[in-house]
Amino acid sequence: MQSNGAEALRAYIRAETSKCMFCGFCEALCPTLYHGPHRGYGPRGRVNLARLIARGEASFTSDVVESMYSCLLCKACHLKCPGGIDIVGVVRATRSLYVLSQEVSA
Amino acid sequence: MSSTASDLKKILGKGKVIDDPAIVKLYSKEPSGMEGEGAIAVVFPESVEDVRRIIRYAYETSTPVYPQGSSTSLAGSAVPFERGIVISMERMKKIHEVNLVDGVAIVDPGIRIDDLNVELARYGYMFPVDPASSSVATVGGAINSGAGGMRGAKYGTMRDWVLGLELVLADEDATLLRVGCKTVKCRQGYDLTRLIVGSEGTLGIVTKATLRITPLPEQVVYILAFYDKLEDLAQTVVDLKASRITPLIAEFMEARTVELAKKLANVEIDAEGHMLLVGVDVYREAAERMLRLLEETARKNNAKKVYKAWSTEEAEEKGLFAIRRNLFTSQVYYTRQRLGKENVHVLIEDIVVPPSRLVEAVKRLDEITRKYGFTLILGGHIGDGNLHPAVGYDPEDEEEKKRVHDWYMEVMKLALELGGSMSAEHGIGVMKKEGLRMEAEALGSPKMLDLMRGIKQVFDPKGILNPGKVV
Repeated sequence: MQSNGAEALRAYIRAETSKCMFCGFCEALCPTLYHGPHRGYGPRGRVNLARLIARGEASFTSDVVESMYSCLLCKACHLKCPGGIDIVGVVRATRSLYVLSQEVSA
Repeated sequence: MSSTASDLKKILGKGKVIDDPAIVKLYSKEPSGMEGEGAIAVVFPESVEDVRRIIRYAYETSTPVYPQGSSTSLAGSAVPFERGIVISMERMKKIHEVNLVDGVAIVDPGIRIDDLNVELARYGYMFPVDPASSSVATVGGAINSGAGGMRGAKYGTMRDWVLGLELVLADEDATLLRVGCKTVKCRQGYDLTRLIVGSEGTLGIVTKATLRITPLPEQVVYILAFYDKLEDLAQTVVDLKASRITPLIAEFMEARTVELAKKLANVEIDAEGHMLLVGVDVYREAAERMLRLLEETARKNNAKKVYKAWSTEEAEEKGLFAIRRNLFTSQVYYTRQRLGKENVHVLIEDIVVPPSRLVEAVKRLDEITRKYGFTLILGGHIGDGNLHPAVGYDPEDEEEKKRVHDWYMEVMKLALELGGSMSAEHGIGVMKKEGLRMEAEALGSPKMLDLMRGIKQVFDPKGILNPGKVV
């Protein structure tokens, strides 16, 4: 059940994040970007980290986890994304994947 | 941890080096679709001394460095292809001085253009170079890419607004060099400031810039007009010039592009045909006269519909900018529809032709694009002849990628044939190196490239600054 759930989450994240063209327009409205040490504290970073996670090309390092959990889920970035990505949906799904990965490892 | 990352952590102290491969990947790509695999770590200098420490280390160890602003380049200018270090300037973003008497702002390279303009607006001033990515693009990135924008016809590009620079050179001492002045008039021998503008991080690391600033216009009036014939649209602009008007912006979109973009714009505008958006900055007393002149000139040239706005606020409310703002998005949605998949790429070209050849350029672009089996999305800055033809493609389809490349090459050839240039405001990076060679040959001046290589050698003898870019 858990692995099916994780696979569904990964498929959703892959589909949404494949729309990102890395323009960064979303970053202009993000309230957390300037409070973090790197690009991962903004929507462009979160979307692209989520893509790497969903493709199995990155793991949940502390930098990645902090990137996802520092998001306020305010959706300000949604107003600017030319690709119409559900950025907050991607962040929530990635957090869920993280929780599942912790349950499995526990 | 690689020894390079570990060395850099020792040199710079805590919190300024990241080598988590996932985070490094965020600094290894850009909107052009290009991605590099070479970065070992990303470093985040917080002072000029930090930059000098990084460069000293890079010089000693012959490690390539890739300076970056916000990675919004469309030419592959900031992508790390060889094994090396990305230097992100994002933490150096102070405004050191705004001096209205001298008409300058002295800033760090990492400040974003819109953030600078928010500060300048408090004084009724602005920095007028406005690339479409100005909400994201940094001043340092714009300097290095020689950026332009919608207001190019009136205000020019970065090279017209950078008075002086501070930069770190790639030599043994990481020499700090200051070039240029705080004044518009400045004859300091060879113009090294302008040499650095547009050098794409290949000659030095910019650590501070003295920028010209200018007062915000008192009022801007706008018309949005639609035409059946492109010639009529172009004649409108010619007539405005003949009336001694230099518009603040003069944007156009080709008819099919308008049709695609209006579906996304969600505005009550009867958009059909080729679109012209003109904005003219005026004193309040002249607004009525100017708006009347704009409308009359458009109607005299057979505009079918003309929408007017007395101010930028009114233009926003009426949605006069909405269709133009969806230029890029419309190509994304159209390509997704055509290919039936979400993962698509859009290649945005950047050429310039003399404004007098614009009508011919648009027709030829349409022919070329059809020949390669794509649909042309076309908009541009009609005031300065800068065109942005774009096509969408499937990044996983090798045959389509090859066709896009051939299209790209032919578009650049067209620009040269019409007496223009293959790059107006996006730079050379890696994507236009072939174009630069073509242009040098077209000018009968292949020596130009030798001179550029010689300059590169003088500034960067070990070839560690953004290697593989420009020449």
